[in-house]
Amino acid sequence: MTNRSLGSQILHRFFKHRLAVFAVVLLALMVVLALGANLTQYTPTEQDPSNPFMSPTTAHWFGTDELGRDIFTRILYGSRVSLLVGLISTLLTISLGVAVGAISGYYGGWLDNVLMRITDTFLTFPTIFVLIILSSLLRELPFPWLKNSILVVIVIIAALSWMWPARLVRSLFITLREREFVTATRALGGSSAGIIIRHILPNCLGPILVSGTLQMAYAIITESGLSYLGFGVQPPTPTWGAILSTAQVYVFRAPWMAIYPGVMIFITVMTINYIGDGLRDAFDPYVIHSEK
Amino acid sequence: MKIRFITFIMVLGLILSACATATSQVPVTTEAVTEVPVVEEPTGGGMVVLIIPEEPTTLNYYMSDAAITRQVADATSMTGLVVVDEKGEFIPVLAAELPTDANGGLSADKLTVTWKLLPDLKWSDGEPLTSDDVKFTWEALSNPTSGALAGTGGIELITAIDTPDATTAVVHYSAPWAGYLAQFAYGLFPRHAAGDPAVMSEWEWNRQPVGAGPFVVSEWASGESISMDPNPNYYQEGKPYLSKLVFRIIPEPAAQLALMKQGDAHVQLWPGVDDPNEYGTYVGEGAHEEMVPGVWNLAIDFNLSKPFDGDPGATEPHPILGDLRVRQATSSAIDYDTLIQDVLRNTVAASTSPFAYGWYQCDIPRTHPYDVDTANTLLDEAGWKMGSDGIRVAEGALYAEDGTRLSLELQGYTNFEPLQKTEEFIVENLKAVGVEAKIQNYDFSIIFGAYEDNSPRMIGDYDMLIYDRSLSIEPQGAVENDYLSTQIPTAENPTGGNIWRWVNTDGDAFIQQAGSTFDLAVRKAAYCGLGNLIATELPQLYIYIYQDGYGYANNLSGYVVSTWGSMVWDVQNWKLVGE
Amino acid sequence: MANYALRRVLQSIPILFILSILLFAMVRAAPGGPLSAAYRNPNITKEQIALLKHQLGLDLPLPVQYANWLGDMLQGDMGDSIKFRRPVSEMIAERIPNTIVLVGVSFLVTLIIALPIGILSARKPYSFFDYLTTTLTFIGQSVPVYWLGLALILVFYVSIQNPYTGEPIFPAAGMRTIGQDKNLADLAWHLVLPVTALSASWAAWYSRFLRSSLLDVLHEDYVRTARAKGASDRIVYYKHALRNAILPLVTLIGLDLPSLFAGALFIETIFAWPGMGRLFWDAARGRDYPVLLAVVMIDAVIIISCNILADLFYGILDPRVKYD
Repeated sequence: MTNRSLGSQILHRFFKHRLAVFAVVLLALMVVLALGANLTQYTPTEQDPSNPFMSPTTAHWFGTDELGRDIFTRILYGSRVSLLVGLISTLLTISLGVAVGAISGYYGGWLDNVLMRITDTFLTFPTIFVLIILSSLLRELPFPWLKNSILVVIVIIAALSWMWPARLVRSLFITLREREFVTATRALGGSSAGIIIRHILPNCLGPILVSGTLQMAYAIITESGLSYLGFGVQPPTPTWGAILSTAQVYVFRAPWMAIYPGVMIFITVMTINYIGDGLRDAFDPYVIHSEK
Repeated sequence: MKIRFITFIMVLGLILSACATATSQVPVTTEAVTEVPVVEEPTGGGMVVLIIPEEPTTLNYYMSDAAITRQVADATSMTGLVVVDEKGEFIPVLAAELPTDANGGLSADKLTVTWKLLPDLKWSDGEPLTSDDVKFTWEALSNPTSGALAGTGGIELITAIDTPDATTAVVHYSAPWAGYLAQFAYGLFPRHAAGDPAVMSEWEWNRQPVGAGPFVVSEWASGESISMDPNPNYYQEGKPYLSKLVFRIIPEPAAQLALMKQGDAHVQLWPGVDDPNEYGTYVGEGAHEEMVPGVWNLAIDFNLSKPFDGDPGATEPHPILGDLRVRQATSSAIDYDTLIQDVLRNTVAASTSPFAYGWYQCDIPRTHPYDVDTANTLLDEAGWKMGSDGIRVAEGALYAEDGTRLSLELQGYTNFEPLQKTEEFIVENLKAVGVEAKIQNYDFSIIFGAYEDNSPRMIGDYDMLIYDRSLSIEPQGAVENDYLSTQIPTAENPTGGNIWRWVNTDGDAFIQQAGSTFDLAVRKAAYCGLGNLIATELPQLYIYIYQDGYGYANNLSGYVVSTWGSMVWDVQNWKLVGE
Repeated sequence: MANYALRRVLQSIPILFILSILLFAMVRAAPGGPLSAAYRNPNITKEQIALLKHQLGLDLPLPVQYANWLGDMLQGDMGDSIKFRRPVSEMIAERIPNTIVLVGVSFLVTLIIALPIGILSARKPYSFFDYLTTTLTFIGQSVPVYWLGLALILVFYVSIQNPYTGEPIFPAAGMRTIGQDKNLADLAWHLVLPVTALSASWAAWYSRFLRSSLLDVLHEDYVRTARAKGASDRIVYYKHALRNAILPLVTLIGLDLPSLFAGALFIETIFAWPGMGRLFWDAARGRDYPVLLAVVMIDAVIIISCNILADLFYGILDPRVKYD
């Protein structure tokens, strides 16, 4: 190893993982496409009822659905939902999880006990069941901001996922707070908050990032699963899960309708998984890559 | 590194090619020619599998609130005194004949109806079926704690039932009940096998009925299937022909279609594929779909009174919808043909009034057909000028202040895709003439809730509602409750049904007329008068009527599809080829 | 050990209690009640609905309803389904064996696939076999389970026929062939597609997890010590590394097994499998809250039990862990 900084060492290791790099590029491409979704010539709700179930042509790259809507546009808009849900719920999950885990792991004592009891309670929730219940409940309460079902889905997924990073961070903190650099800093009069944020947390970055990718993959699959069951993002917003659900009925007539959303979910989750794999390798100094 | 990458690409390639072959194997046809093939004379026997998308909660039709109950119970527990056939006419079943003026079955004062049962009737367990069971059925349905929900029209008017002999039941009404023929049409309860009427909800009978129908439940595997064997004591000799009936509960449409395609099922309830003519594309040559007009009639309800003013009554007119011209323009803005043929692919039929089927069916032309120019002209005349964002703004309108945008909320119920598609289509239509309609769908219990629950339509806090509603074979009760000017729902009258706040003396007169006689011709004329009024005054705009679709395997015969019956209403006549 | 188990059980009781309150509040707060379909029916009067509400106890204040429900639950009475008017315990008793069969067999299949793959691919990391399995596992983890189920139906029920009989290879729906008596072979035949769909992603995940756990362990000091002491590669691998790498997997399984029940929900819907997941989904759509609450509470109890069992099992496998 040369005398690069830690950061650039990590980056260097990441870039050796070609598939992860490829995944990053792919993901960036998907984000760009999602952002540019409204640049297509069709809108996702524009109907053309006399031309349903067209197979892929140059006019309609992915064909049309049962109402004559352009599937490619709908898939793109669906990627907005999935990426949005994935990103934001992951940010929420990680923020909450890290906060709880850090406080719990660093301070210990009764604070740790209380937080862990809460975490355990949430962990006993049968996730998918509670998600379904929460989703149908929240959508029907008469509060205007609950009308946005994407927001509801983001919040409930985050509310039931933060425990995993919390546990992870807590165990990391328990180990790290006994390290010499911490006792040294404390002896020198460093504040607890400062120690947490500036000293311990950066050492956890690797596992946290990896956990983040897992969370994001989970969030995307869960959102599409909920939409598939009818408890996720509500129509007319197109989401991959909802498109898949409708496409089921027509699977003998227009099978591509079902294939596209499935493939998109698959590709998105795959890229995220590969990125996570790359991050794990990047942060783990023991990994040996043999060049063949 | 390279190996990893190569492996990845290889596997991805394999998957993609698999997908491609799967796609290319499925034939894509734009036209499916489905002729029902001529079947050879079947010889009887055989097991028929019917696919249902959800499980019935009970087989006691009177206890149930869901349409699926009838689709299964009709084969076992719903055989009663009469049945309504596919033409909408009453046919005696367990009764020997229909009681009328002519044969003395209906008394001159119309307060006494005498039913004569066929001789030697038996229940499925072999016990005799007598007039005492008719009496027991009334006792059960009229018991205040029984919890009976459906098919109870007229029961509250019955004062007593005499049973002078085993085959005669004399029903005494306290007031003339026009629907007397339909009494006890939905099945009879056996006194010896049902239970205490006060706790009807707890009867074993509800899950394993002792009935007079062609089949008897042999097994109910929760969540999976309900199997039925022939009733050895069925009143028609030699029937049913089939040797077994199995209702399979399959929630996913793809799995349902797969089963029909493979011939593992013979009947599919409500296939839900968009175009019935294309059914063959989905399930191959072995099955076809038949559509029959249903009774669920879709209309837009307009609130003629001002919403959100704390007053449920008709005092203040709706600022936008109070003007008839706006309602007329709405009617002219909707492209009915495209909606029915292309968006809903002929799974619905056009409808122009609530009286769209049965003996009271009226032929009422559409008063304001699709014509965008007319719509625009009407709105201009009504004082709504086109705004800069494509939505009209009031400028000299009848009731609205200048500057009000022509923006309305369109409420429907959730979880029903055809309704969703219809709403989306109508919103686009309205946008084209400068009307903004915002879709807001709620759960059934909110849309159809009670006045006390502050259901929007009951308290008059809505703009437009869109949903499907139906009239039963005896419509007078519902018509009075909904269309009389005195039936606007208010705190004093929370069960009123005039949710449009429509005050119309001519309409009231028609309704009184229809309720004053048993003469069907006179009544029908009165209803059609009301229907015409509705079409011109537009408290409601009727759009289409849903059709019921059933998928049938081509080797099944003997069935007749009926608007008034379930898929198994005549299951005793069914036969399978080659059995 | 018994003390520890007892303590854990006692600790879970307040958690279950809080859970029940939260669940009850969530389920009952939603406006769409179980009687909403009744509102729709024009032939049902509002009086009839009011009577129904009263009979079902739905017009009592919520805290009273909760207290009644809790009291009944503690005595083992899970109440009656509002839709089906049958005891919930009866309905669950009918359905739970079906889910246990599905999840149990899937779990076994998962282990049978994941253990060998995880072990062997970590044995020779970065070999062709390893890369192949890694790719496959990534794919397995990324495919949504319901899509896989649908794809399996399309391929093995619709597209490909048994060349001898012309019948489909595997059935697409249900647990048994109608008209036949229950027999094991028929059940197994009906299990193939659902189990495949369910175990694909689990096997993928577990094998990856085991692989990385093994690789971590192989870097530990005691492994190097064992090697330095001259132990053969195989003994080092199987006796030392594996024994320790299994532990995190055990914890994972314990935390995760209940999720198999959740995944089963999708499979049960697609394959018309009459299990608990389907029961829950039907009840969720019909707002049949006694059933919802009962299913969720049972699942919570399962989760807690699995956690405790996993910890105990961990203790058995790892002699260093002491329970006081």
